[in-house]
Amino acid sequence: MDRLKILADGAKYDVSCSSSGSSRSNSGGVGSAASCGICHSWTSDGRCVSLLKILMTNRCIYDCAYCVNRRSNDVQRVALSPAEVAELTIGFYRRNYIEGLFLSTGVVRSADYTMELLIQAVRTLREQYRFNGYIHLKLVPGADPLLVQQAGLWADRVSVNLELPTRESLQLLAPDKSRDSVVGPMRQVSSLITANRAERKQSRKVARFAPAGQSTQLIVGATGESDRQIVTLSEQLYQRLELKRVYYSAFIPTVADTRLPARPEAPLRREHRLYQADWLLRYYGFAAHELLDEASPNLDSELDPKTGWALRHLELFPLEINRAGYEELLRVPGIGVRSAQRIIRARRQGHLGTDDLASLGVVMKRARYFVTARGRYAGDAGLDSNGLRSRLLDRPLQKRPVQLSLALEQPVRDETASLITGEL
Amino acid sequence: MSGCYCYDGTLAGLLSLYARLLAERVVVERISATPPDQQSLFSSEIYIATDQAVAEAFWQRLTRRLSSHSLKLLRHCLLADHPQQELLIYTYLLLEAEQGKRVDGMLAHPAVAPVWKLSQQVGREAHRYLGFVRFQQLQGGLYYAAIAPDHRILLLIGAHFAERFSDQQWVIHDQRHNEGILYDAEKKEWLLLPMELHAQPEITPQEIQFQQLWRSYFTTLAIPERRNLKLQQGKVPLKVRGYLTEFMA
Repeated sequence: MDRLKILADGAKYDVSCSSSGSSRSNSGGVGSAASCGICHSWTSDGRCVSLLKILMTNRCIYDCAYCVNRRSNDVQRVALSPAEVAELTIGFYRRNYIEGLFLSTGVVRSADYTMELLIQAVRTLREQYRFNGYIHLKLVPGADPLLVQQAGLWADRVSVNLELPTRESLQLLAPDKSRDSVVGPMRQVSSLITANRAERKQSRKVARFAPAGQSTQLIVGATGESDRQIVTLSEQLYQRLELKRVYYSAFIPTVADTRLPARPEAPLRREHRLYQADWLLRYYGFAAHELLDEASPNLDSELDPKTGWALRHLELFPLEINRAGYEELLRVPGIGVRSAQRIIRARRQGHLGTDDLASLGVVMKRARYFVTARGRYAGDAGLDSNGLRSRLLDRPLQKRPVQLSLALEQPVRDETASLITGEL
Repeated sequence: MSGCYCYDGTLAGLLSLYARLLAERVVVERISATPPDQQSLFSSEIYIATDQAVAEAFWQRLTRRLSSHSLKLLRHCLLADHPQQELLIYTYLLLEAEQGKRVDGMLAHPAVAPVWKLSQQVGREAHRYLGFVRFQQLQGGLYYAAIAPDHRILLLIGAHFAERFSDQQWVIHDQRHNEGILYDAEKKEWLLLPMELHAQPEITPQEIQFQQLWRSYFTTLAIPERRNLKLQQGKVPLKVRGYLTEFMA
């Protein structure tokens, strides 16, 4: 029990939590992976729990300044064997506590030896327990390309953490890791995924390689990089290496080190804005240079990046909701992917008015200033950058009295449910 | 002819009612489920008797006529636990009778929006319960899970668990609606049954150990510097915590 605690404690700073993007079906054993991903619980910091996130061991030969498990930090060192990891995963999984396993580790002896341990745990799960659930495996920087390839064949997702946005900061804070030892496996995985996709087009029998793709993590606020540098880096990772996700982790000092900034509070707001910008890159067709430029290299802490962009481009607004194209709709603050799709669908059956928009899921609090519906402008003030800005600022929500709805319990019993719903 | 209608509370009864009212495009104020023996008490309500044959014929016509999208909406709404779900569905069906498949896109229409919202609520709850089910291993090897969802979502999550835990015997028990799913690992089949709990299930020593492990793992996971109980409560409302191992003392 104590070992689990220590190893979970060491892994919790890895922010990747997703269990999506892979759909494995159950072929005789236990488990499946849902392509949408399933959260099973939420901790008291509000982060979701979807995977059993642990370290194989917290022993480490490296001495990275930001890491709890660094060699020079005085913590109790423990390890789990591959068999123990597998047993624990299955026990939790069968009780539906988790969606799968996220296995990371400190580096023991050598990168290759450590990588082999990880692979062994995953193989035990897949072969011995016939486990079809989701597995996210960390690649150890500097591991042999052959091992990297094997890892991708057993896992759903693999990742190497970039940790620091630039070569220089990595050199400063993680002197044992080189940028190349991190980017090398990333490149390899990227090309293996591409090759695997092509092969699977030829024949479905070819085994999947990392079907949920690869991700990485950046620590934000430990070094002096600007948001512009970070967002531009992410854009390149998405475009060139086709990463599925880049995670951002607000730097929380876990060990004292003179190389690290003294920070009373973790830059959580900044992390949040980076995630918003990241979403704009991946789903909204924005480019990094549209969100940030040399004149303003950091994201506005008071406004979300899309609203910020819109305020800088008032010449494009207001947009007529009944005529605008999908890509244009996506750029309106308050309209997301879903509501944009709904607008397109709903307006085929007739023109939409402002009242309709709210029921389609548009956040009118923001959108009203940027759209017209049937030619009518819904904002209560004109399109003027300064006035709008103050209206749109993120303020804590005021609690307004709402009508209480009395739900009368009405039991509906039926025996024919199974017949009608066609489930049985 | 307009007014308040009631039926015997079964799905077949509801479908018989829809068949009758839709044929004449009756304007309806209220539809409620009333146990048959009480009908005289509600003299202002018109009771429509259940006719199994009519119900089945009507359902078959409906499934052929409606798009898969509309069917999914209705199916979710039928499983909802809402004071007016019957009337909402009726209003939707009236519009559908008039507009045909066009209703699919009329998301903002006053007859469609509430049905769609309710269906979304049910669908969302069903998805959340893919995560919120906690099995306990009982003496004898059965995995038992108790839940108390707002809506009757068992039919929506059964297939997921049947695939995922195809090699273990399990039961998911909806204690609010007194029904449950029983999965038979040998026949690979699951059944929705009326269900009541008479005694606390006996769990295995191994189960106790796994529950302790899970609780201690769960508490370790939180990063104190990021504490955000409001966010957590939005995601895991208090009403479900009584059923989640990690929140039990």
